[in-house]
Amino acid sequence: MVDIVLDIAFVLIFLGMVFGIIRFVIGPEIVDRVVAIDLLTIIAIAVIALLAHVADRFIYLDVALVYGLLSFLGVLAVARYLEKGF
Amino acid sequence: MIVLLTILLCAGILISGLLAVLLDNIISAVISSGLASLFASVVYVVLAAPDVAMTEASIGSGLSTMIFLYAIRKTRNGNES
Repeated sequence: MVDIVLDIAFVLIFLGMVFGIIRFVIGPEIVDRVVAIDLLTIIAIAVIALLAHVADRFIYLDVALVYGLLSFLGVLAVARYLEKGF
Repeated sequence: MIVLLTILLCAGILISGLLAVLLDNIISAVISSGLASLFASVVYVVLAAPDVAMTEASIGSGLSTMIFLYAIRKTRNGNES
């Protein structure tokens, strides 16, 4: 049961990452790429949490925590630059 | 499953590195380099190095993007692209 749920989660995360990369590649504006990198950051946090469960090493969750705390800074910097030039 | 995900992450590093070189808009190139750092951080977690991944996530994806944007703002005097 747990293996089936993990396989479904892997497939969904895989598809989400593929579509995020496609959006990042064909995004014509800067704003599309900023939203795509925000999406890919959240998917990366999900990947790290899933790897922490699969590898049975819960120290990986600290990496996901640091990533979730610090990942909005890049998006915030780009948004501030686009709004009024840093 | 982890093998497929790792192959996709490495392909993402390659694609974002190529975009960082090939894109014309300089802000998009900076964002692409941040994306390459993001994928590299997840690959470090796959390779069982969580401390390296933590450092890469904080410095490569957060701090370097802000420093690049600050330098672009300081040197270009406002007119982008």
